[in-house]
Amino acid sequence: MADNAGTKRVPSYCYNCVAGPDFMKVKVENGVATEIEPNFDAEQVHPARGRVCVKAYGLVQKTYNPNRVRTPMKRTNPKKGRHEDPGFVPISWDEALDLVADKLAAARAKGLIDESGLPRLAVSLGHGGTPSNYMGTFPAFLAAWGSVDYSFGSGQGVKCVHSEHLYGEFWHRAFTVAADTPHCRYNIAVGANVDVTGGPCAVIRHADARVRGYKRVQVEPHLSTTGACSAEWVPIRPKTDPAFLFALIHVLIREHGLTKLDVPFLRDRTASPYLVGPDGLYLRDPVSGKPLVWDEATAHAVPHDTPGAVPAVAGSFRVTEAVAVDADKERRVYRDVAGATAYEMLARHIEKYTPEWAEGVCDVKASTIRRIANEYLEAASIGATITIDGQVLPLRPVAVTLGKSVNNGWGAYECCWARTVLAALVGALENPGGLLGTTVRLNKTRDNRHLSVAPGEDGFMVQYFNPTSKEEWQTTPATRNLHQTLVPIVGNNGAWSQALGPTQLAWMFQGERPDDWSLPMPTLPDVWLVYRSNPSISFWDTRHLADIAAKFPFMACFAYTIDETNYMADVLLPEATDLESEQMIRVGGTKYMEQFWDYKGVALRQKAVEPQGEARDFTWIATQLAKRCGLLDKYVSAINKGVAGVAPLKGDGYDFSLAGEPSPERIWDAVCRVATLTLSEGREEHGIDWYREHGFYTVPISRLEWYLTPTLVRQGLRYELPYQERLLRAGRELGRRMHERNMNWWDKQLAEYQALPEWHDVPARWIRNLEKSGAKAADFPFWLLTTKSMQYHAGGNAAIAMMGEIAQNVRGHTGVIINAETAANLGIADGDRIEVRSHIGATYGRATLAQGVRPDTLVIIGQFDHWATPYAKDLGMPSLNTIAPMSLDLTDATGSGADIVCVAVRRVEAVAA
Amino acid sequence: MKRYAMVIDLRRCVGCQTCTAACKSANATPPGVQWRRVLDLESGEFPDVRRSFVPVACMHCANPPCEEVCPTTATKKRADGLVTIDYDICIGCANCIMACPYDARSIVHEPRYAYGSQPIASEAARADDQRIGVATKCTFCKDRIDLAERTGQVPGRDHEVTPACVNSCISGAMHFGDVLDPESNVARLLADNESFRMHEELGTAPSVHYLLDQR
Amino acid sequence: MTTPARSVERIAPRRQGNWDWRAAGNFIAGGAGGGLLANATVLAVWLGLDERLPLAAGLVMIGIGLTCVWFEIGRPWRALNVFRHFGSSWMTREAYVALFAMCVGVVAIVYGTLPAVTATGLLGLMFIYAQGRILAANKGIPAWRHPNCLSLVLATGLAEGAGLLALLAWGASWWRYPAALLLLFCLWRLWAWRRYFAALRSDGAPSGTIKAFGDMATMFIWAGNAVPAALVFAAVLMAVPLLVALAGILALAGGWWMKYTLVCRAAFTQGFALPKQPVRGKGQAGPAVKPGWQWSTWLTR
Repeated sequence: MADNAGTKRVPSYCYNCVAGPDFMKVKVENGVATEIEPNFDAEQVHPARGRVCVKAYGLVQKTYNPNRVRTPMKRTNPKKGRHEDPGFVPISWDEALDLVADKLAAARAKGLIDESGLPRLAVSLGHGGTPSNYMGTFPAFLAAWGSVDYSFGSGQGVKCVHSEHLYGEFWHRAFTVAADTPHCRYNIAVGANVDVTGGPCAVIRHADARVRGYKRVQVEPHLSTTGACSAEWVPIRPKTDPAFLFALIHVLIREHGLTKLDVPFLRDRTASPYLVGPDGLYLRDPVSGKPLVWDEATAHAVPHDTPGAVPAVAGSFRVTEAVAVDADKERRVYRDVAGATAYEMLARHIEKYTPEWAEGVCDVKASTIRRIANEYLEAASIGATITIDGQVLPLRPVAVTLGKSVNNGWGAYECCWARTVLAALVGALENPGGLLGTTVRLNKTRDNRHLSVAPGEDGFMVQYFNPTSKEEWQTTPATRNLHQTLVPIVGNNGAWSQALGPTQLAWMFQGERPDDWSLPMPTLPDVWLVYRSNPSISFWDTRHLADIAAKFPFMACFAYTIDETNYMADVLLPEATDLESEQMIRVGGTKYMEQFWDYKGVALRQKAVEPQGEARDFTWIATQLAKRCGLLDKYVSAINKGVAGVAPLKGDGYDFSLAGEPSPERIWDAVCRVATLTLSEGREEHGIDWYREHGFYTVPISRLEWYLTPTLVRQGLRYELPYQERLLRAGRELGRRMHERNMNWWDKQLAEYQALPEWHDVPARWIRNLEKSGAKAADFPFWLLTTKSMQYHAGGNAAIAMMGEIAQNVRGHTGVIINAETAANLGIADGDRIEVRSHIGATYGRATLAQGVRPDTLVIIGQFDHWATPYAKDLGMPSLNTIAPMSLDLTDATGSGADIVCVAVRRVEAVAA
Repeated sequence: MKRYAMVIDLRRCVGCQTCTAACKSANATPPGVQWRRVLDLESGEFPDVRRSFVPVACMHCANPPCEEVCPTTATKKRADGLVTIDYDICIGCANCIMACPYDARSIVHEPRYAYGSQPIASEAARADDQRIGVATKCTFCKDRIDLAERTGQVPGRDHEVTPACVNSCISGAMHFGDVLDPESNVARLLADNESFRMHEELGTAPSVHYLLDQR
Repeated sequence: MTTPARSVERIAPRRQGNWDWRAAGNFIAGGAGGGLLANATVLAVWLGLDERLPLAAGLVMIGIGLTCVWFEIGRPWRALNVFRHFGSSWMTREAYVALFAMCVGVVAIVYGTLPAVTATGLLGLMFIYAQGRILAANKGIPAWRHPNCLSLVLATGLAEGAGLLALLAWGASWWRYPAALLLLFCLWRLWAWRRYFAALRSDGAPSGTIKAFGDMATMFIWAGNAVPAALVFAAVLMAVPLLVALAGILALAGGWWMKYTLVCRAAFTQGFALPKQPVRGKGQAGPAVKPGWQWSTWLTR
């Protein structure tokens, strides 16, 4: 609508999901936010040309939603539960902050750690770390506090791409993995729904690639939006993806052979030449302990880093003398021993995984698998190069990308391994056009993954596994999800490692524990703080989870509306939301998903309109809490160290250190100045007023920052592929530790620690799980899956009316997607109300008939089935989360699970209560 | 002489509904009224299935059947191709709705709000009684096109005078411009690619073109 | 558009929701009224019968129809704007015809002059024709824009008018004349209907349209046309005027039900179609798609 005199446009950003941040402007008319618009000032620096995705357009309604919690509230009904009215009553900020601070101070007085060795304060934050883009200086409060348990997950592990995070970061510093879409020509997307979850940057890049003529093959049981936009859809049987990927490797190695692959890359940048002994461990130089390779120049086994050596990639060789180092540093000495190269081991391993074998597992024709492998190899254009900023690099424009439920839960290790090996075989790993990591979270530093690369053991990058040695293994878990105890690979990099532990264990073990449990009893935290997180909807077995949440002794929630989790809260604190508060964040460089830019910089989210009701800026809340808990100095000190984001406030040639009780304005002004100074290398300094007008500041970066391989080349390092000796050893050690304490409950998971992963019948794990509970598999003949929605994904916006309206234009947003033929056989018509039942419960919705879904598969979009959130609770939408069980059997070795459950479906006239 | 047209590249569209939302946002349409939206269309039978996304709205036809049937002359076709509705004249008979083969028009008889019977602040700020009881539809963001006439800016190139949907499109599918100008982005896209217009057989001569493939 | 509840209706033809019984009421009452004017005029000119009551009734029917519409439109106090677009709008023309019919009809009733009576009858006929053209101009509703729809609307208007006249003739000596007209127009309507429905099915139409018409077809053919025709025969053969009145009621009810179906129940929108699915990267274009039309069955099953 036309502008009038009282109209202004306020630059800001949207970072609701991990695919951000993206730029936007808020149109404000006479003090009221009325529209969201792109920020075309950022058109040149932002890969998405200053555009935000559909979710951001809901922020106006989010601001003025009358169902918001507008004042601090306290609970008056001491009983907690789904059927107990909390009796929230408005209170003043003073009273609310005192209530929370008193509980915090009382907990602190008893000591940060309780009798079980667990933090007394637990904090749950929502999607993928994005809450930190909205919670101002609250991270500084948490840093000032000390030990915090972040392990009560709201979905991480089971809803994220968990194994990809862990193994991706391990193999190539790739907490998130993406195709180098701007250069890619062939993308095998196994469930990767990037046109929904990749944000505007990914959407425009893939659209450009389509018009350019790239080919994307979408392998998934349901024709997703991304599948729709792909050149080909391969409707694979759910959870059989490892078999498909193994068969691709088979075709490359066994049908094409090494000569067709990228031999220099395999030889110099991977552990392919490392010799493996009869016990499955590397043969090592007896003196240096370094893995041996077979030098073709001298026909001798030599340490891998021997100058001038030409390592053989394939073959088996006799080694006169070598040692192997097993778990707990046990050494075995070998003489005249046969050593096969790791590549050779892979070639033997993969021999049985033919396309014909895979056809029986995946329900995908062998000829299709073979054709795709051949197309992949051809598109890899091995030998081609590209010049980037004067540097000649290999151009390998092929990538295998994985989606949620493929890269988490059982089978995910195999998939992550296989796709990374597929990249390595053609030299596409971290080279232009190929498979890239875009950020690190389990290693430091977050803003530059190249800085996390340093020499470690055996010629690989340094890794920081949680120790599994007898001396160092953590027998008193420091978190309730036991991340350091159970998951070596997740490391111990603060909140990130915690949050990526087996988060469902934190919930499960509050109820029942295995019979042979011999660790300290898990306790509930004295205080639980929750922000931008609704685990009672976004986790599994959600009705049960809400019951557990009701047991927490004290819970304070930063609350937008009443929801299914904060329904159990003691205190609700209304924070100023997206358009009402101020915060500066980093943008650009390389971030999650496909957020790798040609620029890096900072952007300011600013108060476009006054907060509704009594909602307060998060930075103010954090400061007040710090003050009332007696932590002000530590809190300000944390801000000075840069914990609130961007950079330390004191550095070379500048000092904007804060003291006392700084106002939010003063804090962000200092951050703004530091940001500009550090980015411009001292040339410019802009305060908060400049940023309020301009919104962001960026400087160019080289595209070379997108690729890790040049950094490995510089440091003479190799990717730890294809053979997984380190993981094998870690698993053996962990097994010993568990068994030494007479615990066998993690044995299934320990079996995942394999040097070369074997196919195990992944879908059968779900069938066995339901049979174990006494149900009959035949009664639950369908697979239920979820798929994400750009309209809702990570938006915390189920209560936004406009989003509900427009999302319904996209198939599946009105209920359950079911194959039309299957539906006809069951007497179900489009729009019929149906019950989807698993062995733990039922969920209800309307049938959406489609041809683009396997006949044995049902799909429910997103995470709904609300019962407390105003507006959302009237949507009548079903949810997989209600009926997916939490179970150790369904937890893999990394601690993750997958969104899949066996179900029955039938038409119902009316919903049972 | 100008003739504005929209070119939508279906190879690019991902059906995200960002244009739908941007339109609702820019034009303050009430709940349930979508001047534009993106269709989710499937063809074939399992396993040979195709699915694609097709943004639709008023096609601003050169032979608009809505204009022909309108008994009040509220609906008019402008020289620059825009089909407009004069809210002061329209009687809300809905004949134009029946005439439009694109399901592009709607009438709301009572004010509607996102949350219950009262408007939220953003709705109250832009409440417009003129639009109650009359036909409404996509205007190609007429105010912006008119602004271009005054400022000399070029719709489709200068964002300030480009329709909100086109500005918002994250896949680069939507383009806008003067199709009579051979140098315009829309003219060039049409020259270089295979395109079609929706229900062209009905003789409406729509101003919205869809790209399917390169020539 | 206004968003429908079922997802399939967002892409496939859906039943139009803007013209309800009030709009249908105009086609039902106004059409029958126009038909009555035409039929009555024929008999008045042909036989010199007293045309005042049927003409008055016809005008009242047209008035009722227009009142129905007045209750339907969004801005009733601006209703006179309907006269602004004579150049191309058949709704405007319908309004003018109604206005003239009212004026001339009153003259005809009051003075009974032959030119006025004849003009009223012609205006009645033009009123039905205008209604047919209103529907035909609506390209958004395939069932209406079909070229065979116009003759069906004309035929049914005249059959309904004849039916009404047959009712009015009950007890009069000239009951056989409206009976003849009724027979004639019922047979024409039957022919027009079969021609229309067959063409819809062969030319293609939204499956909802076909289904809605299919649901009423048998009843309409028999109870609305064949039985009235048979009753007319029987009445004439057996000299039982009551049977003609009964036939009139049936013909009227049949026509009205058919028009209600046409305007409301079978009035499905065009929906959307692609000549082929777009090329996505290095793939092939996909097949054409036109959901919700009669050859695409699974979506509307």
